[in-house]
Amino acid sequence: MKLLAWLGRKVGGALVVLWLVATAIFIGVRLIPGDPAEAIMGGPGSQASAEALANARSEYGLDLPIISQYFLFLAKLIRLDFGTSYSFKDPVLQIMGEVLPPTINLALMALVVAWLLALLFALLAMRANKVGQLLGNAVEIVAAAVPHFWLGAVLIMLFSSMLGWLPAVANGTPAGLVLPVLTLALPLAGFLTQLMRDSLNTAMGSQFALAARARGESRLTVFRRHGLRHAALPALGLTGWAFSSLLSGAVVVEAIFARPGLGRSLLSAVLARDIPMVTGIALFSALVYIVVMALTEAIERLIDPAGAES
Amino acid sequence: MSRTAKILSSLFILFWVLTAFVPALIAPADPLAINPSQAFQAPSGAHIFGTDESGRDVFTRVIHGAGDSLYIGLAATALGMGLALVLGTAAALAPRWLDEVILRVLEALYSVPSLLMALLIIAFTGPGVGPAIVAVGLSTAPGYARLVRSQIRTLKNSEMLEAATVLGRGTWLKVRNHLVPNALQPLLALVTLGIGQAVIWAAALSFLGLGTPPPAPEWGAMLSAGRTYLHLAWWLSFFPGLAIVVVAAGATLIGRALGGKVKAL
Amino acid sequence: MRRNQRTTRLLTGALALPLAAALIAGCSTTNDPAASKDAEPVAGGTLVYASGDAEPSCLDPHVGGNYPQALVASQFMESLFTKDAEGKIIPWLAEKTEVSTDGLTRTITLRDGITFHDGTKLTSEAIKANIEHLQDPNTASSTGYLAVGKVDQIKLVDELTAELKLSAPDNALLESLSMPWTAIQSPKGLKRDQAANCAAPAGTGPFKVESWDRQQAVNLVRYEDYVSPAATPERASTASYLEGITWRFIPEAASRYAALQSGEVDVIDNPQPDTISTAADNGLGHLDAPRPGASNRLELNSSKAPFDDVRVREAFMHAVDVNSGINSLYFNTAKRSYSLLSSVEPLGISDESKFTTDATKANELLDAAGWTQRDSEGYRVKDGKRLTLKFPVSTNQSVPAEQSLFEQMQAAAKPVGFEVKIELLDLSSWYGALAKHEYDLVSAPYTKVGPSVLRILFHSDSTVPAPSGYFANNAQVKDPKLDQLLVDAEQTNDEAERAELYKQAQQIVLDGYYVMPLYDQQNHFLYSKNVHGMDETTAVSSPIYYNVFLDK
Repeated sequence: MKLLAWLGRKVGGALVVLWLVATAIFIGVRLIPGDPAEAIMGGPGSQASAEALANARSEYGLDLPIISQYFLFLAKLIRLDFGTSYSFKDPVLQIMGEVLPPTINLALMALVVAWLLALLFALLAMRANKVGQLLGNAVEIVAAAVPHFWLGAVLIMLFSSMLGWLPAVANGTPAGLVLPVLTLALPLAGFLTQLMRDSLNTAMGSQFALAARARGESRLTVFRRHGLRHAALPALGLTGWAFSSLLSGAVVVEAIFARPGLGRSLLSAVLARDIPMVTGIALFSALVYIVVMALTEAIERLIDPAGAES
Repeated sequence: MSRTAKILSSLFILFWVLTAFVPALIAPADPLAINPSQAFQAPSGAHIFGTDESGRDVFTRVIHGAGDSLYIGLAATALGMGLALVLGTAAALAPRWLDEVILRVLEALYSVPSLLMALLIIAFTGPGVGPAIVAVGLSTAPGYARLVRSQIRTLKNSEMLEAATVLGRGTWLKVRNHLVPNALQPLLALVTLGIGQAVIWAAALSFLGLGTPPPAPEWGAMLSAGRTYLHLAWWLSFFPGLAIVVVAAGATLIGRALGGKVKAL
Repeated sequence: MRRNQRTTRLLTGALALPLAAALIAGCSTTNDPAASKDAEPVAGGTLVYASGDAEPSCLDPHVGGNYPQALVASQFMESLFTKDAEGKIIPWLAEKTEVSTDGLTRTITLRDGITFHDGTKLTSEAIKANIEHLQDPNTASSTGYLAVGKVDQIKLVDELTAELKLSAPDNALLESLSMPWTAIQSPKGLKRDQAANCAAPAGTGPFKVESWDRQQAVNLVRYEDYVSPAATPERASTASYLEGITWRFIPEAASRYAALQSGEVDVIDNPQPDTISTAADNGLGHLDAPRPGASNRLELNSSKAPFDDVRVREAFMHAVDVNSGINSLYFNTAKRSYSLLSSVEPLGISDESKFTTDATKANELLDAAGWTQRDSEGYRVKDGKRLTLKFPVSTNQSVPAEQSLFEQMQAAAKPVGFEVKIELLDLSSWYGALAKHEYDLVSAPYTKVGPSVLRILFHSDSTVPAPSGYFANNAQVKDPKLDQLLVDAEQTNDEAERAELYKQAQQIVLDGYYVMPLYDQQNHFLYSKNVHGMDETTAVSSPIYYNVFLDK
């Protein structure tokens, strides 16, 4: 029952958030100076025909009072009718189905790799001496400060142009994924390591850990039994944020590595002022974020039932 | 923060403030002066960061670019923080229902990833520096606002406030004298961390061609122009990238140092 | 210059291919490191092509009608006519054509035995269906629409012959019908809704569209029943050597080049000039195929201040230094042009004297025009207004090197007192700025086969915006004498008179300092050394991969 209530709260909250995002977009489109029909069809430069404008006007009810337009807009969204992308000439929902999976895939893979790298780094840091610690500190801070677009270009130059080890553009093979995933994962791994090391140091210095050490358990065992969990929890709490920053990074990475996906579609939709497409992407990325947040919350409850309640 | 750290941080900040406001002090040349016959010179004594496709000195441009790049990062952070102070304070002090409403709004803001939000805003406004600032500012606001809210809520019930209430001060005074300063400290740490990220996002927008237009020496725009010649002249994109990394990493270090201080309180 | 191997085969049909290829290498600007003389054609393999252009939203080049569409459509659609090695228009899908003495009736007879990808036979019905499709406002054709503007009615004479009734004589009609934007597709295919036809137009070309994975690739496969209108006896099969083409879109120039270097892709377009100049050293082939029609040039908006004064326009020409910029930015891959027309247009004239860099002269002209004051920033001022030039630049149409060139012009014009305000815009905002007349300078490339492009660009009718707001006469030239010359030039049936009329027309535009030519519309391709036979192009210089083959 408790689970059901939790689920109910989540779904309710999600709907409210989606409604707010949709409302903001509705207001945004109306704030664009000029003819909203023209705005929907791609702005003054799109050279939309008079007929196309008339179609857009009737489809979006632009001759109705503004409040009716708003409800019409919401009603369409509820029926999952996001309209037709005028620049892709396909229904937005269908395009979403095509571009969402590769981006989620990329982001998930980058998330996993970032986690593994962060864990590895945290482990190494535990065994390192003072100089090693300092070096590790520097590496993780620099990693977190490197812009995706720069890292991607440098990796391509090194591994594709100069060494010829890895493909420069995503070509569907596993090898083609290495560079895009690394480009996304490295900066995130920098963040996660910083976070993990802080909590790890606290955890390993705790009474709990000291007692265990006194019982004669090895440092590594203590780390595995107690430290890891304490190190992982705060980082896990950041997963929602991390995933969101990965989606941001995907815009750049998809452009550099010529990967299909949400980010690249959004970029071209923005350049073409394709409002139905932009609306769809905003709502879908919000939905993705909400789902990821709910999932991490569920995992947190599993790992630490007491902590998640607060 | 240790003494050395304080001195180093101050020097770091001083350097970038100087660079942003009086770049000519460090690099006296004109960042826009072209000299096609000197194009694509590798780093050397005459041009320590080399020259770009129009023969402009990359070092001069990186130094003069600090103003634009940092301005966008700072303005965006200021905007986000301003918004966060208003929303966070309101949420913390408001009745439960309004708190709930504001929280939902923040969640909605948070749910659209930063760069996606920036692109969304640019879809409505068209590209430019202004939209880039608004976009990055708006997308950082919810994070700050949540912290403001939780800080103020903790403080609301604290002894200080009770004491102030006993003394019969007005609500406004309470907010001004006790809540705001106490909420500000941890915020300062977060903001410092945030500035680095804001500079990166702003550069990303310029990189995508949606921020500062060339030939202005903004770092993201320089990087974007330079990556075209990655195979010929690595220095065109390396040095602006380095500047971004230095600023973002420096901001992180200082923010972390400040954060440590906050915990000690 | 010869770039069209298709035509070579027409002329030297009996020659063995290796010899034909050697002939091409002798006179084209191709540079094939794998010395084509010892390369025996091998069938098989899929070529991977990487385009730097934005992915078209529609593969049917009738819709809209831009160059990226032409590049890909040249593989699966063919035109009624094409251009031979000497730049002469010759029949392609058409077998023969004639025009009535009054110039108002054009008869076109098609080749027999050609079938569209969807199984429909090519008949005169297709001519009618295609021209009507171009003229239908719902198609939203911009390029093809203008090209067939004078066709009034189409009468079907027999199964293979159609009669085009024209509203006025049009000696450019065959040139217009040689472009991919007027290419012929299956009438049955055109009856589908636009989305379906955009996704997979059915043409007659050597490849057909198998599938289109948005943002990944257009997958083209060999059309087994292809019949080349210029069939050669030595080819055992008339189908292409390649099994297919994977047509990818990789907008990042550095990524695209890295992909070519690492062998992931076989051919790239829009390479960076620096990579073109080092191509031979890196074992890459290079095809240089300048586009026909207009040269790449700056247009000066003469309809408003400050460029409504011819002295200010002339001053601008002398204020900037284009040549040193082209040298440093283009690495000798682009040649400075002093002509309104592309170097592949035989009727183009050049006038170098008008475009010398001479700051003294520029200063004198501006002084004479009354721009005598200077403000604190050093810009010239007249009646309290600064000498400012708004220059919207489309990031979709100007490659980075060109954007840098404009920045250099901006810097060079400053000492003379011009403030050039460059605005980098996406295509939509750029069209918007033009439609609102918010520009003094603009670079708007226009590709068309033949000198009749001059009428589109400089006739006063082209200053009147279409319902969409677009107009092609961005320089806003309004000269009744020029109008008359351009109309007459299109209607004469005397080739010498046509050349003379176009010469006079070009001189008027050059003398008025309306346009600053920069270079030909650049159209370069780099390919890896296992690609052979990269030298066949359509009339608009888009490569065709019918004769291309890969090393095993």
